[in-house]
Amino acid sequence: MDLDFTPQEQVFRDEARTWLAEHLPTEERPPEGAEMRAFDLAWQRTLFDSGWAGINWPTEYGGRGLTDIEQMIWYEEFARAEPPFTLNNSCTFVGNNHGGPTLIACGTDEQKSEHLPKILRGETVWCQGFSEPGSGSDLASLSCKAIIDGDELVVTGQKIWTSYAHVADQQELLVRTDPTAPKHKGISWVICDMTTPGIDIRPIVTMSHVTDFCEVFYDEVRIPLTNVVGQVNDGWRVSMTTLSFERGTAFMADQVELAAVVERLIEEARHRPVPGGRRRAIDDDEFARRLATIRAEVTALRAMTITGISRIRRSGMPGPEGSMIRLFHGELHQRVYRLALDLLGPGAMRRTGIDGDDTWTGAYLQSFAYTIGGGTSDIQRNIVGERLLGLPRGR
Amino acid sequence: MDLLPTAEQDEIVATVRSVLANHHTLGEPLNDSLWQAAADQGWFGLGLDESMGGVGYSIVEEALLFTELGRAAVPGPFLATVIAAHVAASEPNAATVAALVRGSDRAAMAEPFDAERTSVLDGPGSTWSLINDDDGLRLVATDDLGPADATDALDTLTPLALVDQRATASAPVVVSATDPEPLRLRATLLVAAMAAGMAEATAAQSVAYALDREQFGQPIGTFQAVKHRCTDMATRAEVAVCQVRYASLALRDGLAEAPFHIHAARVVAVRSAVENAEVNVQNHGGIGFTWEHTAHRYVTRARLLANQFGTPNGHLADMLSATAPA
Repeated sequence: MDLDFTPQEQVFRDEARTWLAEHLPTEERPPEGAEMRAFDLAWQRTLFDSGWAGINWPTEYGGRGLTDIEQMIWYEEFARAEPPFTLNNSCTFVGNNHGGPTLIACGTDEQKSEHLPKILRGETVWCQGFSEPGSGSDLASLSCKAIIDGDELVVTGQKIWTSYAHVADQQELLVRTDPTAPKHKGISWVICDMTTPGIDIRPIVTMSHVTDFCEVFYDEVRIPLTNVVGQVNDGWRVSMTTLSFERGTAFMADQVELAAVVERLIEEARHRPVPGGRRRAIDDDEFARRLATIRAEVTALRAMTITGISRIRRSGMPGPEGSMIRLFHGELHQRVYRLALDLLGPGAMRRTGIDGDDTWTGAYLQSFAYTIGGGTSDIQRNIVGERLLGLPRGR
Repeated sequence: MDLLPTAEQDEIVATVRSVLANHHTLGEPLNDSLWQAAADQGWFGLGLDESMGGVGYSIVEEALLFTELGRAAVPGPFLATVIAAHVAASEPNAATVAALVRGSDRAAMAEPFDAERTSVLDGPGSTWSLINDDDGLRLVATDDLGPADATDALDTLTPLALVDQRATASAPVVVSATDPEPLRLRATLLVAAMAAGMAEATAAQSVAYALDREQFGQPIGTFQAVKHRCTDMATRAEVAVCQVRYASLALRDGLAEAPFHIHAARVVAVRSAVENAEVNVQNHGGIGFTWEHTAHRYVTRARLLANQFGTPNGHLADMLSATAPA
């Protein structure tokens, strides 16, 4: 147990801070469409050119080959620099945080050299194709079917809740390759080129007014068998790898940013009157206690994140403890914005975006996704209960 | 940067657990054989310099010890005695340190109860009382506090008495901490460490019961209502344990942000201990409501702990006014 950063890690932090001070974009991130994609990819390219992309990825695919600690330091410095956008909302999220790491863990050499450098260089956007209208929490019941025809898969079906499908180049897609096998044994994880004929993408508007949410329809879409990651019918295992990254390290950036959000909220409370009163909000007993509690919790979240990194360093992969962090983080993220809206008083009637200077109400609406996406809080609780605590399966 | 215990620290924890298993039964009063074993193991001077007769470990190992004391819900004046030894060592008063470390002297815990009275925990059998109030952090002879008004204690294993504050103010001071703040922070962290251990213990108790108890033909842990409560307990315990470890390292290393992390640890750990203790009773149903079962021990001990070395509200205020890490 120690809190020490190695000399190398300290140099890394200093370099990151200096670089961010000079290179962080000052313009607002476009809220949608091709401009948004171009903005996110340009930032990814800038990161890559200066050596800040793929910090914990292997060097052979363009990464820096450093540790999760350095990755966390980077997120901390990014948050400290008060960026005009959050990494969690970027359309590069899936490529960087689950598609890429899954290929690193389970992909063939060809798949890795084809896709990983493009993700890091900001040349491709990835999206996720896991959920279906009939398969949400019961993901393994998915029915989007893929028939093997020669050296191709022919995919027909539907996916839903796919962020950024309309601007994506590639998709991590789960399909049913054996309808006769038990439900976990007939699934394959494939890389789907989103420009393939037969794909129809329709936007779904979210409660937070974000328009990058989509449903995707597949009508005899032909995908080379060489795009299967892992073995045919072994996709459940591969998808559990993907989700272990999502639950283990993918939200590290948001976990780190949340501490900065709480400090901003405390600053707001020092300057705003309590809603309906004259005293400063921070002098109000109830707000003071809620702010103190949330400050303590977000501090503990960082200790949990570091504990998670320590565990991954010893075991090599994120374990079910990741679901515990994800669960605590998702619900804490919501409490932070709930408190923000309570503190804003009538200001909570104004709508804001989710990027830029004033994001309180937009981020509040967006926060509802934090206990749904990547497995609802109920599913995370099942995972912790069954895989970590050893409680019996059953619903 | 690493927040998992080292092999040596795991060894310390294993030793503490085996001593507790041999000398303590959950729900029983403090056993003199445990007190002696604790002294023999050096627990009362675990984090004291060897030059002061201590073992020479740091606050990190001391926190690991107190997490185990919390887990086993051990009654008795462990915290006050350990902090009293630190107070005596700060003067230094070698004779008092030695008597505390070898277990022959114990220290009761005395803090403001209301505007007129001071509460004294574990007074009987304690030579000294450790007074923590606006006048400082100091040791007085328990006999000098005068007649104590014994009161029924919520935690029946921890004797509680109320004395007039004029008595605590006028009792001759044996040793006083010249700089009480660092020792208060240390004690605050040890309270958090005990609370984290209690939160883990109740989570484990609920999980074990959820596996064992059957209703509707299956273990009740099969049902999401119970499973999810167990998960939330385990998560609250993990939150507490992680932050306690971080804070103990920050204090050991003398970091400027140590107070911030200690207050955070105290806030999350005490809340985890109280909430988990309460949910644990619910998870046990009727048996959990009985005197015979041990679930209530954690409820009453958590409430006792929450009010040692400050109060929940006081620590929330400290958390909000603490300087955030740079």
